[in-house]
Amino acid sequence: MIRFGLVFIFLSTGLVTCNAQLSPQGLKEDQKYAELAADADKNFRESVSPFVKKYCIECHQNKRPTEAGVNFSPAIQKPGDAAFTQQWKKSIARVKAHDMPPAHANHQPSEEERKTFVEGVAKLKFLSPKDPGLFVIRRLTKTEYGNTLRDLLGVDRSIADALPDEVSGAGYLNSLTPIQMELYLGMAKRAVEQLKVSTNPRSVQLRDQFFQSENISEKETIGVAESAARGLAKKVYRRPPSQQEVDVLLSVYHLGIKNELSHRASLQLMLEAMLVSPQFLFITPAESIDPGSRTVRVDDFQLASRLSYLIWGTMPDEELTSLAEARKLHELDILQQQTTRLLMDPRSRALFDGFGAQWLGMTDLRTKTFDTTKYPQVTDELRSAMYDEARLFFECVVRENRSVADFIDSDFTFLNSSLASIYGIELPLDIQKMQRWQLNPSDRGGLLGMPGVLAATSFPNRTSPVKRGVWVLEQLLGEHVPSPPPEVPNLEDQEKEKIANLTLRQRTELHRTQAVCANCHAILDPIGFGLENFDAIGRWRDHDDTGGRIDATGELPSGERFASPRELKAILASRKEDIARNLAKKLLAYALCRNLEGYDEVVVDAIVESIATDGYRMQSLIRELVVSYPFTYRRIQLPNKPTASSE
Amino acid sequence: MMHRRTCLRGLGAALALPLMDVMGWAETNKEYKPPVRLGFMYMPHGVIMDQFWPKDADSFLSSPPPALESLRPILDQCLLMKGIAGVPIGPFSGAPHALELSTWLTATLPNSDKRNEVNIAISADQVAANFVGAFTTLPSLELATMPQTWKENQAGLNEAYYSHCSFRSPTQALPAEINPRSVLNRLFHRDDKKVDSPSEERREALDRSLLDLVLGGARELRRTLPQSDQQKLDEYLDSVRSVERRIAAIETRQKEAALEKAGLRSSKRTDADSPPIEIKIPEGDKRSEYMQVMCDLNVLAFQSDITRVSTYIGSTPNGVSYPELGFKDQHHSQTHHNDQPEMVNKVAKITEFNIAQFAYMVKKMHSLREADGTLLDHCIMMWARGSRMATSIHVRTFRSLWRDEVVEL
Repeated sequence: MIRFGLVFIFLSTGLVTCNAQLSPQGLKEDQKYAELAADADKNFRESVSPFVKKYCIECHQNKRPTEAGVNFSPAIQKPGDAAFTQQWKKSIARVKAHDMPPAHANHQPSEEERKTFVEGVAKLKFLSPKDPGLFVIRRLTKTEYGNTLRDLLGVDRSIADALPDEVSGAGYLNSLTPIQMELYLGMAKRAVEQLKVSTNPRSVQLRDQFFQSENISEKETIGVAESAARGLAKKVYRRPPSQQEVDVLLSVYHLGIKNELSHRASLQLMLEAMLVSPQFLFITPAESIDPGSRTVRVDDFQLASRLSYLIWGTMPDEELTSLAEARKLHELDILQQQTTRLLMDPRSRALFDGFGAQWLGMTDLRTKTFDTTKYPQVTDELRSAMYDEARLFFECVVRENRSVADFIDSDFTFLNSSLASIYGIELPLDIQKMQRWQLNPSDRGGLLGMPGVLAATSFPNRTSPVKRGVWVLEQLLGEHVPSPPPEVPNLEDQEKEKIANLTLRQRTELHRTQAVCANCHAILDPIGFGLENFDAIGRWRDHDDTGGRIDATGELPSGERFASPRELKAILASRKEDIARNLAKKLLAYALCRNLEGYDEVVVDAIVESIATDGYRMQSLIRELVVSYPFTYRRIQLPNKPTASSE
Repeated sequence: MMHRRTCLRGLGAALALPLMDVMGWAETNKEYKPPVRLGFMYMPHGVIMDQFWPKDADSFLSSPPPALESLRPILDQCLLMKGIAGVPIGPFSGAPHALELSTWLTATLPNSDKRNEVNIAISADQVAANFVGAFTTLPSLELATMPQTWKENQAGLNEAYYSHCSFRSPTQALPAEINPRSVLNRLFHRDDKKVDSPSEERREALDRSLLDLVLGGARELRRTLPQSDQQKLDEYLDSVRSVERRIAAIETRQKEAALEKAGLRSSKRTDADSPPIEIKIPEGDKRSEYMQVMCDLNVLAFQSDITRVSTYIGSTPNGVSYPELGFKDQHHSQTHHNDQPEMVNKVAKITEFNIAQFAYMVKKMHSLREADGTLLDHCIMMWARGSRMATSIHVRTFRSLWRDEVVEL
């Protein structure tokens, strides 16, 4: 018996070294997760499912017409299914806002029932099995493609301008069509043409290294071509090429020679072929994958690309590549160190251009329409300054590793003369370059007082308390706001004589008297009213366009009251955990190029829990995200086994 | 390696043969018969039936319903249909608009177990392109008025469903071109270069051989990838093949031109055919001018036989308004009209506007001479609006205009 036991222990230690998931720590976590799943399941059966059956299913079930197209029949059969994640989220928002069940329904849930329903639905994430999510090789985006050409060949990244714009963010449509393929062929040619004449140091170095044709004897050419193919492909493919891949490139070289191209021109033809190859246009794995596996670790080269494209929006540099070559990048401390290094590098501005601007809703600021008779000061220069202020501020929070709360409340910003005039600050000289500027504790400081944000959440000719309210709830706090029913008239359509002498606040409140609108607006509007002191381009004002005095008092859904932007700011800044959770969610979706699903919520929980200990710092958040399970692993199997219950 | 390349060469030749045959210049003695082209144009939401459906067949030509007024000169060539099966959207009833476009030409619902991926069916236009696409430089042409970047993944559906109508395969949505200038460049490839110079001709051949090799490499890569990645790579392979085919078609045309110059073949165009129409890209942002230039491009593509299949998404379901008509209301909000006359009227105006753009296109086709008739005589054009469910309009059907002709593709 004893000997048997000993052998057993030996065996299990042997396993521990090769499979991290069987470590005692991992086992404990798995157990904990199993308990949470059991609890969520119990909760679902005891409170969520009865709630749905009692209050929702009568209208929202599997028969036509289903009210508003919302159907709970399949969702209560498979509550943990990722397909219903969004539906459950929306249901929480509606129930919380007392929007559902509708006022005319026969039964109304008690406050207690609403609360248990919301809590029960929030636990559904634990019903999802541990899953890093499907990750399919993806094509470089337009921006990434341009940046990569620049960093690879030293050519102008505007070559990529020919490509059509893409759906941004989590919904980026990662497809490739004949038109695009044709464009890629044209762009590859243009890039090689530019490389031939460019004086950019990178171009010169690349030409010296790979396209030298002097002093090469006839006999040596093949050897030179082969080493050029290998060396170039390692850069272009972002991983070492396989022998087969080198052979394909050599056959392109021979094609050139056969067509009476010179040695050098044939090498250039080879580069052209690389630039239209899937190995360049897509981020492909370096190692072939066992077809039977379901989930695999993202290999070191792919991880280097994933990280580099996330933070820099371009190809990995030498340091990342050599760590990948040494098979070291995936090691926890090295991966964290590298993340920090990338964040501290100026190239990390790509994180704002790609993610930050989208998060803040500022991607369209440069082309947004403004009423120029009312706001003649909105020039291209001002638009750029508005954008750069937010960018520099975002970068500062990241590089100085500040708390996410600083996004809301801080005592500095970045200004130049044209932006300072919006702030009502006079700079001593005419300064065009953005300067860091210390602010006295005031209503400004932080995103809520930034002209760019305030303008992005306004209409061309007036402010929109509703848009601003939605922005604060969705973009900062991560709450889901139900969308308005289609029949609701806009403020503009209210009867003219009735509203002639009302301030915007009074008009919006009038709009709120309609029962269908009241519930949601009771939540949205007070937040937006708290920012009414800022006009549609972010200038401070004490009076509305009608001359009425601005009343900036309001109340958050949680019951906290405020009387000025400054007080609103203070309240929001105290909700660090919500802000951190929301940022983690949005950034994770951006990093993974997909919408978040069941298990991802568990990952987000873990990130938030871990960064709570050092005050929700921005770099810690990004580092935790980079080492997380869905970022370092990927599921490769399609969910293509049709289930018995499919509709 | 050898064997793969041989195989590819073989494939290229197999494609080239019917190409020569069908384009007509291999049969100099036979009378030239223009090919049949197929075009689709779309508007979302519903139409106001009283304003659209004729009272009776007799009065149809003399006093057509207001929505069809713009088609007057060619009404006798139009066929109106209603009650063509709309797809019941069952499990996706939370997403009436998200599926309008993608079910239009596929007549299928997405696979509900894979709703967050593209997984539907090949669309009608692409079925046609599979048959006739190989004979032209572009297998098909996809146009749209609005960028396909609107995000709305209702009921957990992939966003592509919302704004795409053409599906190359069940898993690949084809994006549409919205910039008239890019369309023009695409139709005429290297517009800035002389295509008939010998070095350019050699370059085309080199491009094709280069793509052959790249394609072979991509196939080898495919074998090392997991199944999920393979699907993505198939799009790549498909795209490269399409570019190759297009270069092959250009080469064939160059050869044809050379033979013609030498007096060996007769051109397929006759002197009586109208010359290619001129394209003027408008300066302003007037919707009608913009849609008309897209229609012109469609006409030109058909006229010069650059493609024989097209789709034009004239408008998308949400967020679209028509300031040109004198009101700013969004199309979608007006369709929830509950029979309020003012809103009903606005929906009718919007429908009229959309049909007028379609009418502009087909009337232009009607005005162009081709072979023994007009360009329109060799085209099947369909205008349709999406299916929808609303309290105000209870019929859930497609209403369509279809040119009255039997097709032989």
